[in-house]
Amino acid sequence: MAGVAWHYVLKFIITGDAAVGKSSLLIRLTDQRFLANPDPTLGVEFGSKLITIPEENKVVKLQCWDTAGTESFRSITRSYYRGAAGCLLVYDVTSRQSFVNARSWLADVREHADPHLTCILVGNKIDLCTDDASSTSSAPKRKREVTTEEAELWAKEEGLLFVEASAKSGANVEAAFEQATRDILEKVRRGVFDDDRSPGVKLSKPSSGLALEDQTRSGCC
Amino acid sequence: MEFLSQINIALRGPTGQPQSAADTISRLADRLSPSTLLADRRAAVLALKGLARDCKADVAELALPGLIDVLQNDAEVDADIGKAVLETLITLCEVEENAPAASRELGYKNTDTVLAEEKVPQKLFTLLADHSFYLRYSALQFLSTLLQNRRQVVQAYFLKAPVGVTSLIALLEDKREIIRNEAIFTIQSLITQSPEIQKIMAFEGAFEKLFNIIVNEQGLEGGVVVQDALTCIDGLLRFNQSNQSYFRGSALPPVLLSLVGFPPSLPFNTPTPQQFALQLWDVPQKRANVSLAVGIIGLLARHAGPPDGLSIACTRCLTELGLSSNAPTHIKTQALRLVPSNLSALPLAEMIVTPYMPVPDSNGEEWDRLEPSSALDALVELILHGEYHAIIDGERRTKDGMELRGAALGIFQNFVQKEEISEAIVQAMISQPGSQAPVTPLLYALTTVPVSPLNFSSVTSTHFATLLFAHLLRYSPRAKALARSIIPQAGAASNQNSGAFFVPADGGPPPAGGAADAAEADEDEPQTLLQILSEHLSLAFLARAREDIPAREAREWDRLCVGYLCLLIQWLWEDPAAVREFLEAGALGVLVEPINQTAEEDAMIPGLCAFLLGVCYEFNREPGEVTRAIIYPILTRLGIDMLSGRIIHLRDDDRFKAVGPDSIVVPAPSSHAPTHHPHQGPPSVGVPQQDVEEGEIWFDWAFVDFWKSNYYTIQKAIVVDPNSVSSAAGQENAMLVASLRDVIRNQAAEIERLQSQLKTLSTASSEQEALRAQIASLTEQLQSSEERKRDVEKEQEDLLVLLDELNSKRRRDKERMRQAGLEVSEDEAEDDGDEDEEEEE
Repeated sequence: MAGVAWHYVLKFIITGDAAVGKSSLLIRLTDQRFLANPDPTLGVEFGSKLITIPEENKVVKLQCWDTAGTESFRSITRSYYRGAAGCLLVYDVTSRQSFVNARSWLADVREHADPHLTCILVGNKIDLCTDDASSTSSAPKRKREVTTEEAELWAKEEGLLFVEASAKSGANVEAAFEQATRDILEKVRRGVFDDDRSPGVKLSKPSSGLALEDQTRSGCC
Repeated sequence: MEFLSQINIALRGPTGQPQSAADTISRLADRLSPSTLLADRRAAVLALKGLARDCKADVAELALPGLIDVLQNDAEVDADIGKAVLETLITLCEVEENAPAASRELGYKNTDTVLAEEKVPQKLFTLLADHSFYLRYSALQFLSTLLQNRRQVVQAYFLKAPVGVTSLIALLEDKREIIRNEAIFTIQSLITQSPEIQKIMAFEGAFEKLFNIIVNEQGLEGGVVVQDALTCIDGLLRFNQSNQSYFRGSALPPVLLSLVGFPPSLPFNTPTPQQFALQLWDVPQKRANVSLAVGIIGLLARHAGPPDGLSIACTRCLTELGLSSNAPTHIKTQALRLVPSNLSALPLAEMIVTPYMPVPDSNGEEWDRLEPSSALDALVELILHGEYHAIIDGERRTKDGMELRGAALGIFQNFVQKEEISEAIVQAMISQPGSQAPVTPLLYALTTVPVSPLNFSSVTSTHFATLLFAHLLRYSPRAKALARSIIPQAGAASNQNSGAFFVPADGGPPPAGGAADAAEADEDEPQTLLQILSEHLSLAFLARAREDIPAREAREWDRLCVGYLCLLIQWLWEDPAAVREFLEAGALGVLVEPINQTAEEDAMIPGLCAFLLGVCYEFNREPGEVTRAIIYPILTRLGIDMLSGRIIHLRDDDRFKAVGPDSIVVPAPSSHAPTHHPHQGPPSVGVPQQDVEEGEIWFDWAFVDFWKSNYYTIQKAIVVDPNSVSSAAGQENAMLVASLRDVIRNQAAEIERLQSQLKTLSTASSEQEALRAQIASLTEQLQSSEERKRDVEKEQEDLLVLLDELNSKRRRDKERMRQAGLEVSEDEAEDDGDEDEEEEE
């Protein structure tokens, strides 16, 4: 363990309407499993994951704060926007309303977060409306209410990244985080984030504590 | 205060009449209105500030709304008025602990008024980011006053405040120490019992900033600010799963371990550096800091799920700190208590530690490094002989020292929880044919012969040995079976210093007196451990019955008795073979004596004896010399009710009641504290003999727990007739047996019924068989007779044909005869048709 375990620490928040699958996306990312019947998130839950971006040859530690979608927690969850480098704005492709509400979530993010925050729009639950009938036979098949084209168009208008994913099948979940991470790293390269100003991005550097460890090491030998 | 009097003069008006305080305050309050000049308002606030302490009620009543308005409108504009108004408000809201109730009530009331709307707290959060030192500082102080009075209300506002967290966290990096320290203090109370605030603090980087403070303040050697920062970190983590997982995943745990001097990525087989084991502990502040850090390390060691690198490192750090460091005793105790109860993360037997021992007369400045040994051995050593072989404490049982040994005992208990481990340990004490088993320190201490005058350290060792051994046997029938075959090496109990465990070169005198040799002399046959224990128990009873021993020594004999009795009770429980051996060693007489003592104010030993007697009766299930039928009359003669009463009374004993899962040490009776035994050489280490609190151990929690769940069974068992089969083993057993019997009875009846049914069925079927045979034969008969009939019919037909032919031939012959002129009978020619009949007739 000579080298650093990771090069960057990025703070992500996951936001969007209640019951669109935010917690499930996070659990899929961190534990590679599907949370079938999660309880509604109270306040905020934390999860973390190391991912590698091969093109940049960088290991990135994602610190994700999964926020409650319930209205009563909105004032609490807002406090998390400012410190984040990335945001997953999640809606449910089988719920028109969750897509409509995404606009107000985005407005919230724009109001409170760092202007350079990278936001990716994630349409979740595509497993519910795949054309392959056999795979959905067990779950009640629901109608898709938001088309890919429409969401893509809106994402483009608002300057958001966009992907459709499924926490249940795992499709595109890591891809969503990776895509956002690449975008943030790109911004870092361009110097958009300057280390001191944005609390959401941290370059890993030997901390004073590690230095302390080296001292004791050299002392005992 | 000059300007104050000027104001007063100005307000007093032309008449020169002295005014009441209320009038003055009322006028000052009027001046707070925004229509006045800023300078006037400032003067009024300053005047009110002066009056607030003495006329709290009036100021609050008349001026509070005005003051709040000033805070709202002027504080940011003018730092002086801001500071003054904040200080006034602090005075109005402060609740002093010792103040009369009315005054405290007033403070709470004012706090409620201030917090009635969100504008004041929001303004405070904004002021935290203000550049003026005094504004920031006073705002922090006011916030912390409000938090003290109405924490939950402030917390709710805080969560809604858009800037609160960021500005508060930013204060942790304030260059001005006073503000930074006040911020740490405020955060401490702000995060109390609010997981949401704790999480958002973590999100905003509170951990990193707090650790920065600690590292920059010389780590754990630092002052009280380090202690506050550590308290804060603890508060953020302790009851917050989400924050714990954030913290575990961050780069900070290694920093925490390095703070206590433990190299975070030390390979498991590498010994810890000396800088970790031997540190300077003179500064009291360092002890407080380390204690907090150890508490946090304990949190990280406890990890749900499979042990990861971090929890292993933390567990090892705690163990090393407890077993092989020169940390203060209470920190060692704390560290050992925090070692997680599932020791899967820590192979105690394979782990190597290097204990240290203080050099005598060096005042704790020089230390000897001992031979490395396995952590398990070091642990047992610590339990049996105390910290540093008790060369500092000597004969005295300091409370801290006993707590430490108790904590170590807890680890041992967790470690031998797995049956394979306890069996292996017991197995190692058994001599294999042809070779003597080495005398383990545990066995040595357990079988030390008690001789008068008692050596108190030796008593403590033996007592702890009984506790250790009880942990090995309790609930493990196989370990009990193995233990029965332990035959301690002849001379194990004698005065030999065997093994590497008695290394302290200048240590105290070795335990056990020379009389052991005498005891050894008259032993021909090697005794089993159980026999030795029962012999020592009887020795102890004899010694404590003597009149001439001093009270303190009598107490030590009592302790020995308690140790032996508790061990035997747990050993003989559900082990008939051990009961037989114990009884055949003459135990009955030994037990009956103390129970029977009439004028006995001490309920403890009779209670234990009565219980053990009950166990012996209940589990005496193997044929042997002393049968249940022999014991029963003894029980009745002693009186069943009396026995039962003795058993119950133990529960009322203070030494028994005081024991809890985490506290087995009870304060020693104070009268003994100052006395130091003259005939034992005082400890030679030059540590001044201050008055230290002494403590002692009688029972451990495992036994108390065992007792509480089983005493009722024994109470019932002693009433039961000797011939009744194990029904006495508690009502549940009896009920179980009864219900099983019922089941068997029902099943037997069922079988019987079915069998008879089967029988009738089988007879019926044989009849059927016969009938079927009959039918077959009958059919056959029928067939044959029918055949015969058919044959007969055919024959008849043939005959008729023949007859017909004959008839026609006769007719032809007659015709021919007639033609030939022969005489022919007439009638025959007349009626041809009747010919046959006629012929037949």
